[in-house]
Amino acid sequence: MNALVCLESVRPSRASRCALRLACELGEGARLVVLSAGGSVHSESLDLARRCAAVTRVVHLDDPSLEVADYFTLGMVLAEAARRLDASLVLTGESSDEEGQGLVPAALAHHLRAPLVSQVQAVRTSALCPDSVEVTLRAGGRLCRLFSPLPLVASVPASGTAARLAAERHPCGLEVLTLEQLGIDPSRLVFRPDLLGGFVPGPPAPFRHTTFDEAADLLLRRDP
Amino acid sequence: MASIVAYIDVREGMVTAPTRFLLAEARRVADFAGATVYALLALGPLDHSKIDELAEQVSAGGADRVLCSTHERLAGPPLDATHGGILGQVAEHLRPVLFLFPAGGVGVELGPSLAVRTGAAYVPNAHLELRSERSDVAPASQRVVLTRWRAAGDGRRRIDVGDLERPVVAVLASGRVSRPRGQPSPEVETIPCPEPRFPELRLLEFEALPDSAVEECSALVCTAVPADAAALASLKSALPAGAALLTTPSQDVAALQAARPSHVFLLSPGENTIALPPPVPGGSVSLVDFAEGAKGTARAPEDALFALADALGRARARREGGA
Repeated sequence: MNALVCLESVRPSRASRCALRLACELGEGARLVVLSAGGSVHSESLDLARRCAAVTRVVHLDDPSLEVADYFTLGMVLAEAARRLDASLVLTGESSDEEGQGLVPAALAHHLRAPLVSQVQAVRTSALCPDSVEVTLRAGGRLCRLFSPLPLVASVPASGTAARLAAERHPCGLEVLTLEQLGIDPSRLVFRPDLLGGFVPGPPAPFRHTTFDEAADLLLRRDP
Repeated sequence: MASIVAYIDVREGMVTAPTRFLLAEARRVADFAGATVYALLALGPLDHSKIDELAEQVSAGGADRVLCSTHERLAGPPLDATHGGILGQVAEHLRPVLFLFPAGGVGVELGPSLAVRTGAAYVPNAHLELRSERSDVAPASQRVVLTRWRAAGDGRRRIDVGDLERPVVAVLASGRVSRPRGQPSPEVETIPCPEPRFPELRLLEFEALPDSAVEECSALVCTAVPADAAALASLKSALPAGAALLTTPSQDVAALQAARPSHVFLLSPGENTIALPPPVPGGSVSLVDFAEGAKGTARAPEDALFALADALGRARARREGGA
């Protein structure tokens, strides 16, 4: 089984680090490939992947158009890359640390014509049949274990243990893929309109300091 | 007339608290802008009396009409592989301007895929605002605006639903329902369950999550104080309905990811010891004065938990005395 982990182009989000950690725990039955689309070859994402002992291949998808690609186009490109790399299990972070929408995994699954499971806590190869996995995830207030044949796209949320990755090593080699190698003509990419909405700068409101009695009043005021 | 679809999250046979808030918000938008609220129930096999009971709940909560699909294939957890087909079918048939999901994890699971398939804008962790803009030339325009914080925390995204020429899929934060906004006279339409998109994917086993209450709360008390069972039980029993207590926020990030409480209370010696849930526009984060609470009885840090429980008791007594 080839497992593919997609990391952001500049630095991996907390959720992507968790996805990489889960992939590293798949064990020897899985060949682990890490892919980063766009950006520089000297990114924090690629450096992390190249030093990760469980990773067998690190691939950088290099094209300037990926810098401005919308989520739908990026999902299409990642799906083509997954096919090219013969990856049957794709792990991604649930959402980035910047925009935080979480649409790329869904777009990837859509183009790969594979099911998407979210809020994934663990993945392991299935003993029931080859080319399948068992996925543990949170859904409907329950911790569920699912059987899924491959291909599958699994998105992983950020967790408190995100930073703990498998053993490091000297950086491995880096492969560079182009869109042409994936059969995509960059000049014919038509990006979708921006659906993010207008941006209003400013940080969230700071902490409001309260006494215990004020906190109790506020809590009860919300009590129907 | 425009349509709003509200996905109904049912757990242990009950409509969840975030879903009741979602229905109230959908009703508020519908009354303001003129729309029909459709509640979508996608559940495993149920007898008619239970369906009627749920339909009355969602109708009283604010739905005009109830769409119900029950099938063995929908009995498991709400996954895109099993529930995505029915969502797509409803979206295609009704062409809603808004497809709303409640807080609690179901929106993260189903929302992005629905948005991708329907070409909709997607707004997670959203807050709804209604605005009337006066105009001397034309009638006052009714604006429905969805806002959310960027994950980077450097600003908000705002989508004016009327400005888009496509639908919006949104996951709302959880809040308090002040009063039911609908009428308990449901009009229930049974809809067929389409074939699953990925039939080979199946549920092997499941277990209840001990922290699932956190997913559904509208107010969350977070504490990183090491506390014994008596202190935790004291505070838990004192908290009002809709509020939850999270005692190890640094580990329980998974529950926090699914939770979208509007109001968060931090009970901790320091601000940085707790991994906060994503902020909600229109919500608040209160840092409870830990030192003030602990010094009264200051035998141990966990006395702060007893202190908040006592404060809740005093506040209740004041409210009852004033009533």
